[in-house]
Amino acid sequence: MPAETSSTTDVVMPQLGVSVVEGTVIRWLKQPGDHVDADEPICEVDTDKIVTDIPSPTTGTLTEILVNQGTTVEVGTVLARITSGSAGLRAGPVGSGRAHTGLAAGARASSPPPARSAEAADAGASHAPSPSMPVAGAYHSPVVQRLADERGVDLTGVVGTGRSGRVRKQDVLAAARASEDRPLHTESPYRPDGEARGQLSRMRRAIGAHMKRSLDTAATCTTWMEADMSRVEAARRGAKASSLLGVTPLPIVARAAMDALAEHPALNATLEGERYTRHDAVHLGVAVSLGEDGLIVPVIRDAHTLTVEQLGIAIRELARRARKQQLTPDEVTGGTFTVTNPGQFGSLMATPVINQPQVAILDLEAVVKRAIVIEDDDGNDVIEIRPQTILGLSWDHRALDGAQAAQFLGALRRRLESWNGRS
Amino acid sequence: METSSLRPAEARPVPAAPEDAAGAPAHLTTADRIELLRAMLLMRAIEARALALYRQGRVPGSFYDGFGQEAVSVGAAFALGPRDRLCPLHRDLGAHLVRGVAPARILAQYMGRASGVTGGRDGNVHFGDPASGVIGMVSMLPDMMCVATGMAMAFKLRGEPRVALTWFGDGATSRGDFHEAMNWAGVQRLPVVFVLENNQFAYSTPLSKQFAVDPVERARAYGFPGVTVDGNDVEAVFEAVLEARVRALAGEGPTLVEAVTMRMHGHAAHDDMRYVPPGLLAEWGERDPIERQQQRVAELGIDVDALRAAVDAEVEAAAAEASAAPMPDPADAVRGVFAEGEPVPLGDGRAPWSGFVEALS
Amino acid sequence: MPTMTYLEAISDALREQLRADERVFVMGEDVSAFGGAFKVTDGFVEEFGEQRVIDTPLAEAAIIGTAVGAAVVGMRPVCEMQFADFVACGFDQLVNVAGKAHYRFGLAVPIVVRLPSGGGFSGGPFHSQNPEAWFMHAPGIKVLAPSIAEDAKGLLTAAIRDPNPVVFLEHKHLYRRVKGEVPPGIYETPMTARVAREGSDLTVIAYGAMVHAALEATEQLDASVEVLDLRSLVPLDEAAILASVAKTSKVLIVDEANETCAAGAQVAALIAERAFEQLDGPIRRVATPDVPIPFSPPLEQAVLPSVDRIRDACRDLLDY
Repeated sequence: MPAETSSTTDVVMPQLGVSVVEGTVIRWLKQPGDHVDADEPICEVDTDKIVTDIPSPTTGTLTEILVNQGTTVEVGTVLARITSGSAGLRAGPVGSGRAHTGLAAGARASSPPPARSAEAADAGASHAPSPSMPVAGAYHSPVVQRLADERGVDLTGVVGTGRSGRVRKQDVLAAARASEDRPLHTESPYRPDGEARGQLSRMRRAIGAHMKRSLDTAATCTTWMEADMSRVEAARRGAKASSLLGVTPLPIVARAAMDALAEHPALNATLEGERYTRHDAVHLGVAVSLGEDGLIVPVIRDAHTLTVEQLGIAIRELARRARKQQLTPDEVTGGTFTVTNPGQFGSLMATPVINQPQVAILDLEAVVKRAIVIEDDDGNDVIEIRPQTILGLSWDHRALDGAQAAQFLGALRRRLESWNGRS
Repeated sequence: METSSLRPAEARPVPAAPEDAAGAPAHLTTADRIELLRAMLLMRAIEARALALYRQGRVPGSFYDGFGQEAVSVGAAFALGPRDRLCPLHRDLGAHLVRGVAPARILAQYMGRASGVTGGRDGNVHFGDPASGVIGMVSMLPDMMCVATGMAMAFKLRGEPRVALTWFGDGATSRGDFHEAMNWAGVQRLPVVFVLENNQFAYSTPLSKQFAVDPVERARAYGFPGVTVDGNDVEAVFEAVLEARVRALAGEGPTLVEAVTMRMHGHAAHDDMRYVPPGLLAEWGERDPIERQQQRVAELGIDVDALRAAVDAEVEAAAAEASAAPMPDPADAVRGVFAEGEPVPLGDGRAPWSGFVEALS
Repeated sequence: MPTMTYLEAISDALREQLRADERVFVMGEDVSAFGGAFKVTDGFVEEFGEQRVIDTPLAEAAIIGTAVGAAVVGMRPVCEMQFADFVACGFDQLVNVAGKAHYRFGLAVPIVVRLPSGGGFSGGPFHSQNPEAWFMHAPGIKVLAPSIAEDAKGLLTAAIRDPNPVVFLEHKHLYRRVKGEVPPGIYETPMTARVAREGSDLTVIAYGAMVHAALEATEQLDASVEVLDLRSLVPLDEAAILASVAKTSKVLIVDEANETCAAGAQVAALIAERAFEQLDGPIRRVATPDVPIPFSPPLEQAVLPSVDRIRDACRDLLDY
């Protein structure tokens, strides 16, 4: 298109990830009337997985914002319009009822207006919203507001299925119903949140909701097994200084766990409703603490192909990016097994919550020196001081039973206790 | 401007009232003649009182009267039986009085009081007391000609010895409803009497601008007779209508009775009548219907002054009663749009003519 | 239960009333020997005689005016305008004489004015009108507009028995095209609305022929659409309208009459005022634009609300 004439470019909600169907506008960085350069960020959106900027598709003037902050819309929804060229100066609300006001102005100027064609008359209301009617995407109709008040539904959290993502009556009613028995709609119960809000941050509330859902959905049981970490600790101490292995035993435990999963594939599976799927690959979720902001579980795809070193590097990198909110949506989905490692604070055991829709989660707590009884080479019982840890496995009794859980843990323990530094 | 609008009337001889061998009216007793005078006196007195109240600002809206035309309504109404039905117009107050509506209610009606005949729903002479068998007028003239025709049609369909009568003015004959009603009544031979009150002017429009052919002549075109009568001779008017009634009851169909008279006051109280040739009013003033009847009655030895005084007293009392009556409740304004249940039939009211007492029909 | 056409149902109501009530009589142009332009009174004069089935002169004002006269002296005239369009000639008598008599004098005027109304068959500007809005706007006149045979009979019976002037709109297009079960004998249909089809996602409000268009337009929509047949325009069944809107929160109003100030405009105003908090979308209307109804079929079809136009408007509103 020639640059001299004015043209309008739509800014649409991008598909930020293969499985993403919607996004929420978090914040507009530009206002109508502002000049924008191509690629300059004009708003932040949240896709349930990550928060990211949307860069401007073109240079011009932002003329219209169609979706307000806090509104969730489907992928592909027009969020704003940018006009390039000479005519892009009009800022303000959406097309002010052209079909109506133009006709009226013309009529007063001269003879009575021609009767509108039937189609124009019918279409007037839907295609050119009148000035008195707010833009569909940002508007809550009277019945929606009333029902939301009555049922205690927070409209900012309701997905709109109406035109331009408008929240409709059905959506409010569905949200009201779902707050009692809402099924999980994301894979990860952890998601980052860019906004702090009220007493509990949005992230906290989301985490809480997802945790609750997991506990309500799965028949969660936890099995513990103690493991002697001498060899693992030796491996860690013996790692070269330049290696990234030295931080925690997590990469070694992860590697060992994946080997154990190869023997016990029932635990590398997902259960969604009645559909139980075993996975060949291990896409390993690794819980990363974001401090007060909560948790996130980035996923290392095909982790079973990585060495301990590679795992270490991957974990370190993911954690870094997670804390900077630089993860992509595909990095927080698709996990088949999760490992969590909060042991740095000294806790011994925990009852981790399963990361839906997976069937198991492995918890690595603190490694502490303990006096244990072992058999010496002569077969006598002696007391020795060894670094021990209690491996915890929460597992879903709908898909597994205690024997399988114990067998897996046993396999893991064997590997850890015979660790020889190899992946 | 024309010097005299009497020409059309003078072109046709106005038949005199029939008399018996002794010169007395064939169908009227002395009491009847007194009653005719009394009704006219009452009409004039009420209207005079109402005009005064209007000029005092106590009658809202506009004010119309039939000054000088009293004979037309009184005489015609007097010829109607109790079960006959009437559609008077705004200069026909006398018809209401003959049928028995109380003066106090009439003055209350003018003043928009709750006790007025319409309870304030309509004003001045736009009323008809259903209990007296009178249907109130609408302003669109001569709509009531169709209504009267319909009533006559019902009487005929049911084989009842009853007549409907309506008044209308010279101006009203120009509107379509005149034609539709005359035609309908003529083709169906209905027992309806059409009284054309030719008072020379429709507001400021003289007859010469109203029609090219006298309406009374046109009656023949609709298939029934038209007769002209001196509208200022109450007894002549009575006789003409009586005769029309007899015709109707005999199944001979409608009659157009043209009563020639003069509108002595303006179209309404706000009209200064500047368009009326000055000599005309003086001419007609000589033929005042009340004075004429007074003379007749006085010649019979009746104390006309006493009669007049009694009428005046009656009107004063009525005015006092009406003035004290309350205005309607504003909440009443939205009530009564629709009827519910079985309609209340029209009443019969008075029919004071002696001939009805003798069951003449 | 007998099945009959909409027209036969009207005849049936008249016949039953003529038999049951000697005060009732029928009058209009060509209603007697000819049986009426649409044959509604076919055979009537043979059964009831010329005193009760009266051929009038061509005089709409007098038809209505004389009906008023007959009514106030105790009869129950049912007058017919040959086409609804011609009621304009009798407008004054209907609105000023009949409509105002009770308010002014407490005088009931029990007349029925039957109006064969509506277009769709190249009747042109003077044989296709839907003038109900004129009389909704005149105080003291009831206005009825049935869409099915059963209601045509029941509402006409109710109209004849009502002590008020009633304008009865018989849609010509439905005369022979709509059939239904009609109870025998005498019954009255209440002057209320009727749910023609129950639904929960959208309400379409219509009357007369447009009820059938609305039902057809919404049959195959992938949504649960309620169709409300108003049946009575004065009195208007406000409770039914508001209840339906409360249920579905979206409403489309269809008028075959010209859009401006049609009955649907009053319904829309009522909903906007009294059901604002129930609405999940704008009140939409589909109506004939403000043009005289044209004669040539493509022109006429372009202006009268079609099934497609109604369906599209429903889809639009459902998606909102």
